Amino acid sequence: MFKKILIANRGEIALRILRTSREMEIETVAVYSDADRNSLHVRFANEAYRLGGPTPAESYLCMDRILEIAQESGAEAIHPGFGFLAENAEFVERVEAAGLVFIGPTAQAMQVMGDKIESRKAMMKAGVSVIPGMAEPLSDSCQAEQVAHEMGYPVMLKASAGGGGKGIRIIREASEMKGAFTIASGEAKNSFGDGRMYLEKYLEQPRHIEVQILADTHGRVMHLGERECSIQRRHQKLIEEAPANYVDIALRERMGAAAITAAEAVQYRSAGTVEFLLSGGEFYFLEMNTRLQVEHAITDVVYDVDLVEQMIRIAAGEKLTLPDSMQPRRHAIEVRINAEDPENNFMPSIGKIGNIRIPGGPGIRVDSALFNAMEVSPHYDSMVAKVISSGSSREQALRRMCRALQELHVGGIVTNAGVALQLLQSKGFRAGTYDTGYLERFLEAAGPVERSVPDDLEEIAAIVAVLHRVHTATGKVPLSSSPSSGLNPWVAQGRRQELLGSRS
Amino acid sequence: MKYFLKSAQGRSFEINVEATSSDHFRITLDGKEVEADFFDVDGSGQYAAAIQGRSFAASIEQTDEQHLRVTIGGETFSMLAEDEGEQVAGVLASSRPKAEVIKAAMPGVVIAVRVSVGDHLEPGQAVLVLEAMKMQNEMASQEGGVVKEVLVAEGDTVSANAVLVRLEPLPES
Repeated sequence: MFKKILIANRGEIALRILRTSREMEIETVAVYSDADRNSLHVRFANEAYRLGGPTPAESYLCMDRILEIAQESGAEAIHPGFGFLAENAEFVERVEAAGLVFIGPTAQAMQVMGDKIESRKAMMKAGVSVIPGMAEPLSDSCQAEQVAHEMGYPVMLKASAGGGGKGIRIIREASEMKGAFTIASGEAKNSFGDGRMYLEKYLEQPRHIEVQILADTHGRVMHLGERECSIQRRHQKLIEEAPANYVDIALRERMGAAAITAAEAVQYRSAGTVEFLLSGGEFYFLEMNTRLQVEHAITDVVYDVDLVEQMIRIAAGEKLTLPDSMQPRRHAIEVRINAEDPENNFMPSIGKIGNIRIPGGPGIRVDSALFNAMEVSPHYDSMVAKVISSGSSREQALRRMCRALQELHVGGIVTNAGVALQLLQSKGFRAGTYDTGYLERFLEAAGPVERSVPDDLEEIAAIVAVLHRVHTATGKVPLSSSPSSGLNPWVAQGRRQELLGSRS
Repeated sequence: MKYFLKSAQGRSFEINVEATSSDHFRITLDGKEVEADFFDVDGSGQYAAAIQGRSFAASIEQTDEQHLRVTIGGETFSMLAEDEGEQVAGVLASSRPKAEVIKAAMPGVVIAVRVSVGDHLEPGQAVLVLEAMKMQNEMASQEGGVVKEVLVAEGDTVSANAVLVRLEPLPES
């Protein structure tokens, strides 16, 4: 086993990897940008090295500097986390050329699966079903209109090098194509340095189901079941759960087998995720994410494994020892807490974290690197925490998540937590009958006007706002210890229903 | 003391509050009278409130004295809370036609500018595309109007609250 590894990432995922490393008694080397000197991933590491300025280009994307630090610190392996260099094949090659171990897949698997067009070809060859669409990139928006016309609207316009919801648009009619093509292609060019676009048929009411796989370097590939990730906005996942409501043991085995075939087709190693769209009982290969996923934690919980530990063991050359055909033992739900303002079209929200309250109790895991006075900067991804709930049934996991989100508060910035709570309480989510369009329809319908909140919570909030104004105006000190002059509790109890009405 | 509240959800409340001691209050809301207490827990935004015997953990963020975001039971409510004097001033201000100023909601890079001086904009029409946190966001005019000034160009890096575009009200037709 390794004695020391370098974690080439920041935020909650760097901390997540660091935690497992410490449990495995592996020393950790953290790297940081100037914006992150005070971060938890830096403070908790055994060693920490500065990369450079706050922008990703000056820091977490800077391969030369990261490799230099790895050599200097004597780290034997590098875990890339997700985002940044996690799916950069050149980085893998350079890590290996430097005599270090990359904790992840091979450069070759990454190259094939990282290119939507290449991966489609590879999957068709391996016999994994794919979504009807084109195999070659588009030259311009005129060609896109022509191809879309032949395929029939709606179509999906996707960046060839895409991922994480960037550079993807659904086009419902020809008139939308030109503008969408320009924006999506620009987004792709900025995010990935590659503006090539292609089209595929858009499936109606699809569910996004992905299969977790693990592959060791001794030829064994196994799957760890599925995750249901259909709750998305602009193709960014918000809530995930495992197991998926509509996937029974037979379908799980079919999808698992397809995922294993996909992984074997590129001689995959390490942890990876094969994404499928499930529509009308059939599933289609969407893409393979050649890295640890944000939502891996729900698989950790339902299969009682630590995927980061498995990745490290595989990278160290160990054989997988988990049994085949494991079945989920629990139900788990994850909510991503993003620094985004739901009342302002989910615009990124930046600021200094304060007034933070993290939930706990049975069945709650919080993966976050938040701390008081942390600056949420515009340079990095907006996800600041993940709340994972689990229980012996979906119902219990759901109740626990709702309870946890009622306890959670992240102040100093605006988050999507309230919207997530409302969504979890909605009929469609409770019934488990949602598809990938559910969140956007929910937001349009519920919108800022009609919210499915308990009747009088808004009244209470209004009263609290007034009390705050009075309190601020009179400049009182915290925790006043003046004796109570209010009603005695028994009288108050008796008047509750009479006056506010809704505590039934 | 009387306060007028508007929530982002579109509801209005008229609340009268009277202190019965330093942290106990008698409140009248829509003709209902309730007793409440209110304590600052940590001086950094967490409050303990009991309203007619029901206990609440409230978190409050404020952009200024009148604009509050109250989080209670996991739900967040944006509230405008004005006293009588402020409300009168607010009504007067809103009766005048507005000259809208579009500001950057966050620091970012201007990816595209969609308007030029003299353009007539509909409410909700996009003026430019701003990239931050790896996502491109369209910045739009709320009220519509005529573009008076465009202060940024493609490729510019802007800080939060930087003025991007100034509008003037559409001429009366």
